[in-house]
Amino acid sequence: MDEYSIGVLTNIGLFSFLALSAYLLLIAGEMSFGQQAFFGVGAYSGGMLTAIYGVPLPFAALAAMASGALVALLVGLPTLRLRGLYFAMATLAAAEMARILFELLHFQHEIDGELVGPDGTQGFRGIRWVFERGVEPLDYLAIVYSLLVTVLAAFLLVERSRLGVTLRSVGADPELAASIGVNVNRMKLGVAAAAGALAALGGVLYAHHNTYIEPRNFDIMLGVHSLAYALIGGLGTAFGPLLGVLVDLGLLEGTRVFQGYRMIVFGGLVAVLLLFRPRGLLDERVVHWLRARFS
Amino acid sequence: MAKSALFLILGLLSFPLHAQRVQAGLACTFTGTDFVYDCVVRLARGGSPLAGAQVTVGADMPSMPMAHNVKPAKAKPGARPGEYEARLDLEMTGEWAVKLRLSGPVRDQLVLHYEFDEKGARPAARPAKRK
Repeated sequence: MDEYSIGVLTNIGLFSFLALSAYLLLIAGEMSFGQQAFFGVGAYSGGMLTAIYGVPLPFAALAAMASGALVALLVGLPTLRLRGLYFAMATLAAAEMARILFELLHFQHEIDGELVGPDGTQGFRGIRWVFERGVEPLDYLAIVYSLLVTVLAAFLLVERSRLGVTLRSVGADPELAASIGVNVNRMKLGVAAAAGALAALGGVLYAHHNTYIEPRNFDIMLGVHSLAYALIGGLGTAFGPLLGVLVDLGLLEGTRVFQGYRMIVFGGLVAVLLLFRPRGLLDERVVHWLRARFS
Repeated sequence: MAKSALFLILGLLSFPLHAQRVQAGLACTFTGTDFVYDCVVRLARGGSPLAGAQVTVGADMPSMPMAHNVKPAKAKPGARPGEYEARLDLEMTGEWAVKLRLSGPVRDQLVLHYEFDEKGARPAARPAKRK
């Protein structure tokens, strides 16, 4: 496999964490435009731990996930009181605040004669943990997909459990769920924290794949795409967001012949897709049909 | 398979391979065809030109770098030691993060920010550091 294909597949894997993060909130009934903030928190915290303090990547990834969960919890506490469009706007505002905080973050240390660490709008260079340990691109791809398969397995387990049913009931009708004894607020806070941790895991892996991050990497475009993946792929199963990423990046790569116009072509194709499949390709009806046919 | 996974995990927990960092410079000229640039990459390590490296040159847009990027091109050795030549076919003018992936005598990845227009390319101007 050539390096370019490995790069595209790695990007698909990295985006999938963010897509699953947005999907988790969507099935709990909340539409977040701010998951890119937690992706950024993971990228910055994980990058700082490995590049400045020399913490091994697996431990840095765990710490980044904890940071993502904590920040998501802090954002969720006030914003989850809101509903629908108001919650979406609040998450977008929180994500923009996070991006501006990244622009203000200056924390550099001299390592081997080079200043390493976040330098505001100048970005954060030298996240070289993976390169310094001789991890080949194919090995990194294997790491990303091993983690993705683990996360996906956890999703499938939860979706088939009582917790999964409760989660979907909260998403479908929070008042009805509360009337049968579900603590809706606690459930949504837990979901927000888990979604934050998941996005942060994607972020820390992204930072180490790219070696360089900057605040602009985590702007609204990333949030819109992450939400689009779940909506395009479908809300019936955790495979939906992954399909969304495949469709998105597949369309982007497949429409390269249109060069400068490819984003217009891509946008048109997404609009047509959502017109005919408003709850995505793998919606609840399709998933139910597939389960009935194959189980 | 299990053995490779074990080596990978041990590698991730090991100490870094200390090597002198590579410095890179870039000079690009507009070819006359929309968004196509001929670029010369100059690599040095410890003050001396870094010859014999395999270099691929890609570019990302700073917002959405994972989705908005151009297919990396393999650079050919240039006229002088430490120089490598590649053609970049961008999608539009503006700021691009040029990504240099090095293999061979040194394995690294360097990211340089350049502003591309009809005159060529120059290092991207960033807002001054806040004090």
